[in-house]
Amino acid sequence: MRRWVLFLAVSAVFAGSAFAEQPGSKKRRPLPPEFGRVIINNTSEKAGMAAVSFDHWYHRAKYTCRVCHVDVGFAMKPGATGIKAADNQAGFYCGACHNGKLVVDGRTVFESCGKALIGENRQACLRCHSVGKNVPPSIDFKAFTKNLPVGRLGNGVDWEKAEEAGLIKPSDFLEGVSIPRQPMTAQKDFALTAKLQGMPEIIFSHKKHTVWNGCELCHPEIFVGVKKGATKYSMVEIFDGKYCGACHVTVAFPLTDCGRCHTRPVQ
Amino acid sequence: MSRARGWLAASVLGVAVAAVALPGPVALAQGQGAPAQDWKKEFEEVCAKTQDAMALPLKELESLVARCDKLKPTIEKLDESQRKVYARRLKVCRDLYQFVIESRVKE
Ligand code: HEC
Ligand code: HEC
Ligand code: HEC
Ligand code: HEC
Ligand code: HEC
Ligand code: HEC
Repeated sequence: MRRWVLFLAVSAVFAGSAFAEQPGSKKRRPLPPEFGRVIINNTSEKAGMAAVSFDHWYHRAKYTCRVCHVDVGFAMKPGATGIKAADNQAGFYCGACHNGKLVVDGRTVFESCGKALIGENRQACLRCHSVGKNVPPSIDFKAFTKNLPVGRLGNGVDWEKAEEAGLIKPSDFLEGVSIPRQPMTAQKDFALTAKLQGMPEIIFSHKKHTVWNGCELCHPEIFVGVKKGATKYSMVEIFDGKYCGACHVTVAFPLTDCGRCHTRPVQ
Repeated sequence: MSRARGWLAASVLGVAVAAVALPGPVALAQGQGAPAQDWKKEFEEVCAKTQDAMALPLKELESLVARCDKLKPTIEKLDESQRKVYARRLKVCRDLYQFVIESRVKE
């Protein structure tokens, strides 16, 4: 009986979700390097530049989500931050790192929207303003991910394992931008185990998620319910990008990996 | 009683912040080499504790929210890029403390 309910729920999910090809938009599952790609185009094309393409796979291997989405201040919806060339030039947003000064892995991180370069060296601009330009990447996805543990879906990388094994060491701190933080204190009354009280059959580590994301990213914007288990989360809403789906649709391992969250088989 | 003292502390701090914040824009104009501005120091102090919020006493959480509210007008006067970034950072920090307060009250 229970199985039937689940089967129906699953069918509903598959029928009404991102899986179904949306009429007109021809949505296909992204290839591994494309998973987590964000196209930003509020101002670029209007200003005669190609739209900006941002990839998560490289950036997330180097920095925690918290560095960018809490400290640097990027929103979690394409275009929602309202980045302007002037912000980048003043050292904010992309310019917090892409300032022609920061050195990472022995290389100086290329500058964003630099005035001096306008007209002269469009090639440098094209590294970000790359949509439709067929720009060869300077960091090759295959080479970069070759030695990382394989994940079934998404980028084809198991990012959690990669971090546990020390193969990637995402930095949780950006000089001049992040607030120096003490290691998290052991907190009474806080589920640090891989369980939530209200969701006994869901695997979820509050602690791990905090290290990656920071509390501010989830509360209260994504999870407003304050009484343990008071809110019922449906899989349809999650597939729609709410709750866990705010991250697990487009950037963290995708929802099709049911067994990574559900302790019992759901399909 | 102690709540009143908390408020007092918060308002004293608020005045202090407001006072040092006045010459803020001037200091900013001096560019990146200038020492960290006082609003920034206050921001970093107030928002450094979010990940330990569950371990903080209610009174401290309330005072942190009050300090965020006091800081808001100063941040709203910054130039556009800084204002965008820090207004959002301050908001998510304040809302997190408020969220933890509410989760206590409702339990
Ligand atoms: C180097 C900075 C950086 C890092 C690190 C980063 N992000 Fe992002 N993220 C961005 C930017 C920039 C955007 C687009 C914002 C905009 O367009 O306004 C974005 C957008 C998103 C979106 C919306 C994507 C979409 O297509 O709807 C999600 C979800 C997201 N990020 C989650 C994460 C998660 C989870 C992590 C950690 C695993 C992470 N991000 C790490 C910079 C970053
Ligand atoms: C927290 C720091 C940080 C932020 C913020 C950041 N980046 Fe990067 N990004 C890097 C680093 C480090 C590299 C590697 C540079 C290198 O090795 O040359 C990089 C590389 C890139 C690349 C090059 C990939 C390639 O293969 O050529 C692109 C494109 C890029 N970033 C776009 C962006 C855009 C667009 C934004 C803002 C929306 C942004 N980044 C924000 C740190 C950052
Ligand atoms: C590190 C990534 C990056 C690089 C490199 C970069 N830009 Fe940008 N640029 C952005 C982002 C992100 C935006 C905002 C995109 C949007 O919403 O359309 C932007 C927007 C712009 C705009 C739109 C107008 C405005 O006020 O926002 C112009 C013009 C621009 N950039 C010029 C340049 C020039 C010229 C170069 C080369 C010297 C350059 N950019 C290099 C990331 C970059
Ligand atoms: C990835 C998202 C995520 C992050 C990051 C996160 N939480 Fe949560 N939090 C949740 C979820 C999911 C619940 C359960 C909500 C429910 O039961 O409806 C929850 C529940 C809570 C609750 C109410 C239940 C309880 O355990 O008392 C509080 C308070 C809370 N979180 C505080 C925090 C704090 C403080 C941090 C940072 C140290 C944090 N959370 C980080 C997702 C997150
Ligand atoms: C990122 C974590 C995550 C993944 C991946 C995931 N789920 Fe869920 N699922 C949840 C959460 C959280 C709930 C709510 C549980 C609760 O409220 O007790 C849920 C609830 C459900 C429910 C019961 C509620 C409903 O909507 O009917 C079903 C059935 C379900 N999931 C099926 C699936 C299937 C099938 C897959 C794979 C296609 C899947 N889930 C993948 C997190 C996940
Ligand atoms: C703010 C973004 C965000 C939200 C919201 C979020 N996650 Fe995650 N989650 C991540 C990231 C990043 C990872 C690291 C692995 C990856 O990127 O594939 C992760 C990893 C996990 C893992 C593997 C590690 C572990 O905890 O054992 C599970 C399971 C998981 N998430 C379940 C959930 C569930 C269930 C929810 C909703 C209750 C949720 N997540 C909400 C970002 C998020």
